[in-house]
Amino acid sequence: MKTIFEYNEETTGHLSDEEIQLKLPSDLMRDDLELPNISEINVVRHYTNLSKKNFGVDVGFYPLGSCTMKYNPKVNEDMAKLNGFAGLHPHSSEECIQGALELMWRLEQQLKEITGMDAVSLQPAAGAQSELLGATIAKAHFDQKNEKRTKAIIPDSAHGTNPATAAICRLETVVIPTDSRGNMDLQKFKESLTPDIALVMLTNPNTLGLYEENILEICDLAHKNGTLMYCDGANMNALLGITKPAEQGFDMIHLNLHKSFSTPHGGGGPGAGVLGVRSFLADYLPIPRVTKQNTKYVLDYEKNKSVGKIHSFYGNFGMLVRAYSYIMSWGTDIRKVSEHAVLNANYLLSLLKESYHLSYNRSCAHEFVISSKNFGEKSALNIAKRLLDYGFHPPTIYFPLIVSEALMIEPTETESMETLDRFASALKKIAVEINANPQLVMSAPHSTPIGRLDEVEAARKPNLRWNPSLENDKMGSH
Amino acid sequence: MNYIPITEKDRNKMLEQIGVNSINDLIKDFRPLLKADLNLQKPMSEFEVKQHIQEIADKNKIMKYFVGAGSYDHYIPSALGHLLLRGEFSTGYTPYQPEMSQGTLQAIYEFQSFMCILTGMDISNASLYDGASALGEAALLGASYKARRRVFVKNGLNPQYLEVLKTYCKAADLELTDEINDQTACVIAQYPDFYGNIENLTHLAERAHKIGALFVVCVNEPTSLAILRAPADFGADIVVGDGQSFGIPINFGGPYLGFMTAKEFLLKKMPGRICGMTTDVKGNKGFVLTFQAREQHIRRERATSNITTNQGLMALASTIYLALMGRNGLRTVARLSYGRAHLLQQKLESAGFKTLNNNPFYNEFLVKTPKPSDDILSELFENGIQGGLKVDEDKLLICCTEMNTTQDIERFANVVKK
Repeated sequence: MKTIFEYNEETTGHLSDEEIQLKLPSDLMRDDLELPNISEINVVRHYTNLSKKNFGVDVGFYPLGSCTMKYNPKVNEDMAKLNGFAGLHPHSSEECIQGALELMWRLEQQLKEITGMDAVSLQPAAGAQSELLGATIAKAHFDQKNEKRTKAIIPDSAHGTNPATAAICRLETVVIPTDSRGNMDLQKFKESLTPDIALVMLTNPNTLGLYEENILEICDLAHKNGTLMYCDGANMNALLGITKPAEQGFDMIHLNLHKSFSTPHGGGGPGAGVLGVRSFLADYLPIPRVTKQNTKYVLDYEKNKSVGKIHSFYGNFGMLVRAYSYIMSWGTDIRKVSEHAVLNANYLLSLLKESYHLSYNRSCAHEFVISSKNFGEKSALNIAKRLLDYGFHPPTIYFPLIVSEALMIEPTETESMETLDRFASALKKIAVEINANPQLVMSAPHSTPIGRLDEVEAARKPNLRWNPSLENDKMGSH
Repeated sequence: MNYIPITEKDRNKMLEQIGVNSINDLIKDFRPLLKADLNLQKPMSEFEVKQHIQEIADKNKIMKYFVGAGSYDHYIPSALGHLLLRGEFSTGYTPYQPEMSQGTLQAIYEFQSFMCILTGMDISNASLYDGASALGEAALLGASYKARRRVFVKNGLNPQYLEVLKTYCKAADLELTDEINDQTACVIAQYPDFYGNIENLTHLAERAHKIGALFVVCVNEPTSLAILRAPADFGADIVVGDGQSFGIPINFGGPYLGFMTAKEFLLKKMPGRICGMTTDVKGNKGFVLTFQAREQHIRRERATSNITTNQGLMALASTIYLALMGRNGLRTVARLSYGRAHLLQQKLESAGFKTLNNNPFYNEFLVKTPKPSDDILSELFENGIQGGLKVDEDKLLICCTEMNTTQDIERFANVVKK
């Protein structure tokens, strides 16, 4: 499909009759603006046709492990679009924003209850930004105590954001291997827990989809060492109403509202991160804090221990409205979300474990990792591409890094048994195809608008933007 | 409301297949198990949720805004909202599987192109969180590229951006300093600045380059770029900012749209996703995420940034906005925003306000008020007008966009004339 820059038309829409003189010196004025002028109908068709080359949860099953691609209830969209929210200026005076602050305050109470934490900040725009905030808070905490701690412990199954965050914050990463049951190796952990460890960044359930069996002992050991426990809450969808991270012993947790709390993933955001902390860290949270004074809500900037701001304003507010709407729908029943997320994952695992290798033979939490290593090198990639022909979005592949030819599958609670059966049967068929007709699988997909793309060429001859002068050259050479 | 399609009959069948008696058998190791239900409210029907949240929304008051300062109330064409609601776009995720994500990928490519055209730069990423964190990322990039640890900020940066920049500097042990020297990794200037001033930044860029620092331009109000010289012309190495003005509602401050464009030599240091055009096995044109070796999921502790989820749908919104507006539309928005702000400024001058801008301004300007700024704001407030941002006891920062009609401006002027 041609790009938006290649429409050969020139409409004059959007011109105004209003006489305006720009009184600007010429060295500040632009003389060219190479934007296309396209009629509305063609713009609408262009993006409608683009959307048809896309896949989302609204289109079909999307078991992308670690991403919690659950259904996004439509009512939440309507709530975020209410003019009282979408049309509210962030610099409005306090009496104009009472509803917005009330919603934030209520959401904070709910997330405190769900995580067991004592205070939460809604400011981070995504999980990775919460991690940055959490690590910065850890540094401030140790500065305050006059302790020099320069390292972070991170298991080898961790999301890439954990070591990346530690590196930005100039914390050296100490990597702990995974034991034969899929837990962080406790013995190695003990040996590595030296006085210079600032924090342990742990995902629970971990990225293998397994609940850390030694979590209570890990947190206990860390605390005795003066080390902070940070929970990457990407997998909170397994735990809602079942167990609270604060009671497991974590000092901080981030939540991804676009995962567990069902705000749409938007093709890569916007999400919303939330950082929950225990009371001794609450004063470090970003300003302003939403507080309630009698019946009035206020933005409190008077927190001199705060590490500062992490967002231009108060966070991705529109996503907060959606998450609040979701939690109000579920209320005390929210435990059912996690129960069924775990049920669906274990059911799917039970259907697949005869056809695919399973590295850790345990009940899983809300997701699981199988391996296609018995089908040879690159088989996970080939299987993923073949799944496209069956109309499914593939699972996460080649992650976590510790499982070779990994397929990481997270069905979520919003899928029916029938969908899970169809998906399992497709994966089982592919397991047969890959031996019987390897070429069919290796050359997949066959049904998508486009075949496998040359990623090497993309990096070797970067074409990262439409370029009018290149287009003109091309035209000239014809 | 219940979004789980599993019936009791299904559940029993599934448990049997798994080989356990109950869901509790599957979660028994999740220690420590909660002993009671969470202390949340009763579940609500969709109707009840709507009623409840509408009541909360109604407690907010929507005014006629003459305030910007990082959040600009521009007109959003109807077609945009309709396209953005398509579930194919809004319920997908990062396009890891390009064969079934060509829609998102091509839109990112178009977004990158639009941002490069507007800023005059060579390359763009697929978006960052918001303008303030984009500036933080620019400082990290500068420090990493130059292996220096100091950051200089020119006066006139949005104070909220400055606060976020400070947090990023604290996180990464960078130092904000008020002099430019051979330790400076990057020099940052906002354009137009927080007070609306438009300044030729060529000399500052030259100073930065002379001592080997990167020059970073931060854009708060990108509609200005429709009529103003592109930051690249002054010698910017990196341009960051917020694209909220391009079709994104003011949303009480978020979600907005952080962006970053740069000179080509910084490609391998850019944070975030980048989309590139390539071909498939049959030679068809297509799009993929590229240069992923910069990113956390591949490079882990050696990644250029920890960003993963960005503001994808907001980038799409701004892409569709720019396509709908086109050159004529965007220039009209910019000219009207400029024109309305200058019209109001003239009216305020004759009502005893003094403009404090030393340079030409775009659509925001700073005034000294003839009486306490609080008094002016509350008089306007009674007339449904949010009259600006209080900067000091006698200073207001005032903003206009095309949404502030000449009648609104007349009303503003009449209120403060009294």
